[in-house]
Amino acid sequence: MKELTISSDAPGQRLFVLGNEAIARGAIEAGVQVAAAYPGTPSSEITETLAAVAKELDMYVEWSTNEKVAFEVALAASICGVRALASMKHVGVNVAHDPLMTASYIGAKGGLVLLSADDPWAWSSQNEQDNRYIAEQGYIPVLEPSSVQEAKDMMADAFKLSEQFRQLFMLRSVTRIGHARSDITLGEISRERRKGQFIKDRTRLVYTPREARINKPLMLERFEKIKKAVNTLPYNQLKLADGAKLGIIACGLSYSYTLEAVKWLEIEDRVSILKIGTPHPLPEELVIKLLKSVKEVLVAEELDPFVELHVKAIAGEHNIPVKIHGKDLLPRIGELSARKVTEAVARLTKTKTPVDFASIDKLEQETAPLLPWRPPALCPGCPHRASHYAIRVASRRVARDLGKEVEAIYPGDIGCYALGYNPPQEASDTIICMGGSFGIANGLARVVDAPIVAHLGDSTFFHSGIPPLVNAVYNKANITMMILDNSATAMTGFQPHPGTGYTAMGDETVLLKPEDIARACGVKFVEVVDPFNLKEAAETIEKAIRFEGPAVVVSRRLCAIIDQRERKKRKEETIPYRVDQDKCNRKCNACIELLGCPAIIKEGTKTVIDSSLCTGCGICAQVCPYKAIVPE
Amino acid sequence: MVKEFNILITGVGGQGVILMSELLGRAAVTDKLRVRGSEILGMAVRGGSVTSAIRIGEEVYGPLIPTGKCNTLVGMEPSEALRNIACLSKSSLVIINTAVTTPFTVFIGESNYPSPEEILEKLGKASGRIVQLDAAKTAQDAGSRLAINIVMLGALFGTGQLPIKIDTIKETIRERFPAKLAPVNIRAFDLGYETCRQAVK
Ligand SMILES: Cc1ncc(C[n+]2csc(CCOP(=O)(O)OP(=O)(O)O)c2C)c(N)n1
Ligand code: SF4
Ligand code: SF4
Repeated sequence: MKELTISSDAPGQRLFVLGNEAIARGAIEAGVQVAAAYPGTPSSEITETLAAVAKELDMYVEWSTNEKVAFEVALAASICGVRALASMKHVGVNVAHDPLMTASYIGAKGGLVLLSADDPWAWSSQNEQDNRYIAEQGYIPVLEPSSVQEAKDMMADAFKLSEQFRQLFMLRSVTRIGHARSDITLGEISRERRKGQFIKDRTRLVYTPREARINKPLMLERFEKIKKAVNTLPYNQLKLADGAKLGIIACGLSYSYTLEAVKWLEIEDRVSILKIGTPHPLPEELVIKLLKSVKEVLVAEELDPFVELHVKAIAGEHNIPVKIHGKDLLPRIGELSARKVTEAVARLTKTKTPVDFASIDKLEQETAPLLPWRPPALCPGCPHRASHYAIRVASRRVARDLGKEVEAIYPGDIGCYALGYNPPQEASDTIICMGGSFGIANGLARVVDAPIVAHLGDSTFFHSGIPPLVNAVYNKANITMMILDNSATAMTGFQPHPGTGYTAMGDETVLLKPEDIARACGVKFVEVVDPFNLKEAAETIEKAIRFEGPAVVVSRRLCAIIDQRERKKRKEETIPYRVDQDKCNRKCNACIELLGCPAIIKEGTKTVIDSSLCTGCGICAQVCPYKAIVPE
Repeated sequence: MVKEFNILITGVGGQGVILMSELLGRAAVTDKLRVRGSEILGMAVRGGSVTSAIRIGEEVYGPLIPTGKCNTLVGMEPSEALRNIACLSKSSLVIINTAVTTPFTVFIGESNYPSPEEILEKLGKASGRIVQLDAAKTAQDAGSRLAINIVMLGALFGTGQLPIKIDTIKETIRERFPAKLAPVNIRAFDLGYETCRQAVK
């Protein structure tokens, strides 16, 4: 028997998958023909999964330069009647926001789905924004799965719904869906492949004020139809319990926690439950039915009180005398859990919790001070570690010339190098959004006198680093812009980008160099350094900082993980370094305190290098004042 | 029919926590069991803490193990087992790899690593039973330093409590690794299995 994979046309078979693979499978089943995305946790595996089978299934899959472009690529395909998907993490939707708001006026011809991967508790993000609000703003209907299986089914259905109602749909995933694992039952794969057809239709596609005014009412009409239809979608389900006083409205994943909570409390037959799979628009008829049947309602949803506010509005409009709880009993921050829902329900039903949570909390609190702090760290041999070190050395030299009080400022950005904000590098003074380092540097230059050395990665440069670079040239900002070029979008899983020379589907393509772009943009100081040559790198950065006007330094070295992989393929040996114990001054600790490489460890008072981790980058040998670190 | 069996695997990025949960999940599906789980990867791949939950059974819905409902906690690193103490109850079993991975914050004096006694005292208070083994050494004995996760997987089956058949998990291991590496990993599994079985006898 052929092994079952994500692209097997084997309806009814079961497969154990990651949530994001299930979402990709849903798109495959729907016969998606164009999928565009920019990487971002927890969404990247969707596009990786699709890219891996794109040629086999005759799909087009791309990593776009950023989320706005990704969405526009998908939108164009939809306009031409082809099913298209754009995937991104929640903050990526901010970048795509502009076309998104007008796309909903256009509607959809080919099924058009936006996947937004939200991240409650900001496990791998800079905030925990709730994208249901963005959907509401754009009249974009939202499907929100309660399980991995449902995520797949919803994705497959979303394309059909989008075509049926001629509207763009959003599938809102969260970390615990995308990075959950589950067995799923596969559905049938659609083999339909359409030929894109662009039909000129200025009234629908050319947005001047006139078309906005023409199309908004049409959009509102479409939305009204969707509002009715969601009452009978299988994703919304009302289960009334006889004589129940309490009703729970559970949105998306919270439904799974709710099922566990009522089971745990053994009150399954005493509460009515409304499962919500479309938080926007809500199935109003079902909500009213529930509200009328109970005395109290708990809305269980993660993050903001989105469903709660709408339910309260419905209750008010229809004068239903029911007490509605939500964020008074459940947190606005972080993920929900079976426990949190159980405690809230226990309070409302005056039931005893099944477990003595207080004593568990007490033990956990007693344990916390014992735990070592284990922040994620840059890998051994990571080129960013060397860049950070060189940046600091250079900046300090210049700052010292300017006076004792002056300290250089390091606007940082989002990528692996963000891990260098922890000690010992402490390499970032601000991290806000992708491309933000260069933008913030532009503003700082207007109000402070210290040297300003901003850094971002190569993928981030192509994503959103170029406009602020042009801004610095245009407005003559005296800043240093570092591009840490490791030939990958490393943090999110080493995806290719315009600086790598190949595409998502593995085809070769032109390789763009940040230094060429910087020169073309009119930057007069552009240099490329190898960060593993600390001395030269620091000297060049120092020159850049002293240069009057915007300066760019590209610090180029392949990501250590990719480098190790490639060396293995080439059967090239890695020569690790070791500490010569006769030369090492036991007390100095410079290598550890300046670099924090995970391969350098202490064994009692001895400093040693774990040869299985060391990649032989050699920067520790360059910082050791006693020349005690040598190749093995 | 299994109603609910919860396994939490904890460790440090690079130890193979995720691979272990993948093997468990696949084997469970082969044995026609329902599986749910989730993991925290994100930034954690770069040497931070990693946890992965695998939940098996007909009455499992959510991706997370509810507080105090873990049946078996697999600690691939002692302090990481301790970090997840809140999932335990008096009926839980804890399996710990005694080999420590010291975070570098300890070397620069930013934090301290707890003593083995402190770890055992706290985990002892929270759980029913603790099994310790040096999985790093066992992996080396089996022939691969990298097989720590497979040793721990063997130990997990050595508890005799799992609803998955031993033959199924072994077959899953054989399928997952290239033919050349399979025997070493099966050996690692067997050694972990035996060590735990002796301990829980
Ligand atoms: C708008 C937005 N999109 C995506 C992400 C997710 N993300 C975080 S870091 C990163 C990539 C960074 O790549 P690069 O700049 O090359 O740095 P590296 O990780 O390779 O060092 C991405 C895509 C994000 N935080 N914000
Ligand atoms: S993955 Fe690459 S870029 Fe990221 S920390 Fe590791 S070596 Fe550095
Ligand atoms: S040479 Fe030094 S800094 Fe580089 S990986 Fe090895 S121990 Fe770490």
